[in-house]
Amino acid sequence: MSRQSFLPFAARRLGHALVVILLAYSFTFLIISVLPGDPVSNMLLDPENGFTEEEIAPIIAHYGLDRPVLEQWWRAISRFALGDLGISLRASRPVSAMLLEALPSTLVLAGTAMLVALLLALAIAYASQSLPRRWGQGVARVLPALSLSVPSFVIGLVLIQVFAFQLGLFRITDPNGAAATVFAALALGIPVSAQIAEVLIANLDHEAGQEYFAVARARGLRLSQLFARHQLRPSALPVVTMIAVSIGELLGGSLITETIFGRKGVGSLVQSAVVTQDFPVLQSLVSLAAVVFVLVNLAADLLYPLLDPRLRRRAAAGRPA
Amino acid sequence: MPPDAPLLEIRDLAVAYGPQPAVQGVDLTLRDGGSLALIGESGSGKSSIVRALCGLLPAGARLRGTILFQGQDLLSLAPARLRALRGRAIGFVPQDPQNALNPVRSIGAQAQEAARLLDLPDAAARRRRILEIFARVGLAEPARIYDAYPHELSGGMLQRVLIGLAMLPGPALIVADEPTSALDVTIQKRILDLLATLQAELGIALLLITHDLAIAAERAQDVVVLKEGRVQEQGTSQDVFRRPRSAYARQLQADVPALNPERFRAAATRRHGDDDAIRVDGVHKRFHAGTGIVQAVQDVSFRVPAGTTHALVGESGSGKTTLVRLLLGLERPDRGSITVGGGPVQAGQPDSLRALRRELQLVYQNPFTSLDPTWTVGGIIGEPLDRYAVGRRGDRPARVVEALRAVGLAEELLRRRPGALSGGQRQRVAIARALILRPRVLVLDEPTSALDVTVQAGIVEMLFRLQAQLGLTYLFVSHDLALIRQIADSVTVLRQGQVVEQGPVAQIFSRPRAAYTGLLLDSIPRPAAAAREAVLLDQGGED
Repeated sequence: MSRQSFLPFAARRLGHALVVILLAYSFTFLIISVLPGDPVSNMLLDPENGFTEEEIAPIIAHYGLDRPVLEQWWRAISRFALGDLGISLRASRPVSAMLLEALPSTLVLAGTAMLVALLLALAIAYASQSLPRRWGQGVARVLPALSLSVPSFVIGLVLIQVFAFQLGLFRITDPNGAAATVFAALALGIPVSAQIAEVLIANLDHEAGQEYFAVARARGLRLSQLFARHQLRPSALPVVTMIAVSIGELLGGSLITETIFGRKGVGSLVQSAVVTQDFPVLQSLVSLAAVVFVLVNLAADLLYPLLDPRLRRRAAAGRPA
Repeated sequence: MPPDAPLLEIRDLAVAYGPQPAVQGVDLTLRDGGSLALIGESGSGKSSIVRALCGLLPAGARLRGTILFQGQDLLSLAPARLRALRGRAIGFVPQDPQNALNPVRSIGAQAQEAARLLDLPDAAARRRRILEIFARVGLAEPARIYDAYPHELSGGMLQRVLIGLAMLPGPALIVADEPTSALDVTIQKRILDLLATLQAELGIALLLITHDLAIAAERAQDVVVLKEGRVQEQGTSQDVFRRPRSAYARQLQADVPALNPERFRAAATRRHGDDDAIRVDGVHKRFHAGTGIVQAVQDVSFRVPAGTTHALVGESGSGKTTLVRLLLGLERPDRGSITVGGGPVQAGQPDSLRALRRELQLVYQNPFTSLDPTWTVGGIIGEPLDRYAVGRRGDRPARVVEALRAVGLAEELLRRRPGALSGGQRQRVAIARALILRPRVLVLDEPTSALDVTVQAGIVEMLFRLQAQLGLTYLFVSHDLALIRQIADSVTVLRQGQVVEQGPVAQIFSRPRAAYTGLLLDSIPRPAAAAREAVLLDQGGED
């Protein structure tokens, strides 16, 4: 794709992404507003908290809860657009500060897990193509299905049991240490790697059956060259799609993994917000998930034309007769 | 290697995939700088021999025998040495150039790969050598090709690129596996000319694999005729071509249209009806494609008298497919009119199109994809009777059997599914289905291009018989001029949506007026002429 056609394409996709994010925020707002009552009134009206009518009215007015729903929605969405996520009902702190606190730990975990998943998937995929056909390839092809059928919390518990308690490779009392992070990332990444490996192996097999693979082989290329250039490169597209889908898996999985490994992060924030019905925090977290999904898919969409020239619009040269 | 040992010597080669051998007891030799054609139809084992030679057999294939190349037995060579030899000394030119280059990498990147086998100092030097070779194989703008991706080039250009890549390391042998079967006829000739020039000028030996006896006889010094994995006959192409000794080579020679222009002349004297079965008047059709407008069909007119065969000839992009779609009422012409059997073709009017379908039926190009694999033969053939509620339900099976017999198939096939039929049988089923409504016109869209020549000859024979029996009118779409010369009464030559020339076949083929028609006619292989030239050369002494 020429630069002239890539920029409008990217701008259009970015516009779509913003619309989706605002819609996701509005949708959570809608769900919360159809629920009977609202969290602030519920709390204030709770007799145990002992607020009087006179005290309640200004607070309700302060939160704008006496206004029509449409106006509340407009205020909320304009604040959200400016980055103001509101105040936590329980912690009485800005939600954005709480998110910024929790995010790094989760990002490190999810990022490491994705790296682990990619490396594992690549290793298994290479093994599936290069090991002796009868035994090696068979094992490499069974592994993904096998590890997909084990829930990630079981993998986590086994890792803790074996590597922390028996081998002492990491201490569960220091959940954010490097070693503990790697093992948490393993627990989180193994199921994701299995998904990626399955897609990758299927595509590598497909490429190996293509005529251009045979022709490249006839050109005298080594197996590793064939693998990288004529199998992996053309398989990149479905793998990128799979990675984009797996990001959701990682976020969902991080909730469980953080709980098991005792890490503080977005997962534990979600957990406490659900338990304490902290709606501003929950709404921000749902929107955050939407933002992550949209951005990841945006990145994948923008990557496609770079990975496959056939997806680029016809360049100025055009197709000769 | 002894001085006058052949470049390639295959002895008692056997290849097997399952319990059945695909190749058995094959011997052949090719001398340095010589040319040899392997001829055979699908299943003859010619591709297995090539794949064995190039080390491309799938895992699980079993090999026996010896393949001596420059004195080394390829089958007992260590994988690493074999790999190096493959790249340097044996160049491979594949069948379908559109699928033979990695679509996500540029031509240059893939050429660099091939060039790395040379002892060149750096990428820039390799690039210079690549551009030289690209120019050598007749690519007009080597630098632009170098930066292009495969999908940006035409099939002919891609095949030149692939020949260039095979040539790059300066091989002693080029193995070309049906190098032109996926290309337009005029391009086919140019690619074969290129291979012949490289062989003559650079002294590279050529192993040409083909199903076309005419091409083999025209292009190779020696031929080996294969059938079902065994050599039927081998010798110089002149001997095999002029005096075939084996029954199979004789049959092949009789079935190749290019060698037998008059084969069906006797059958082709038919009763002409007075009225036109098809009338196409001043038809235009254009499509919006991306940014531009494509004039698919421009001012095309022709008439087909009832009971005759008219051929539409053209290369890809000539507008034949659009014309067929217009005739079937699948597209509406921008201007002009089409009538079939006296009634107008009105696209978008279901009742009128239903009536049209009883007059005119289509037989598709590829019988391997046009039949629903989950249906039985009986179901496929009988379906139109149910759709059009023809006759009484109880009578329909008898009509299906009748149609099956008419196309020369046995009644036992009724319960089979397409997967259990050969290509020729499938196309007969497709024709039976087209005929069951007793239409008066059949549109045959390259009906034999996916089939072997001996199978093609059988289908063509059957089409002639049906035409005589039922008074059918055929519109025959094809790129194969040799075949058209055999079967059609009149012809319309199309190029880029316009009529180049039209008229009776005898006149067009003997006195073409348009240069383009002449070019198309030139692309029919003429082994007889090649043989004559060879005789003249022999008399004139060494070149």
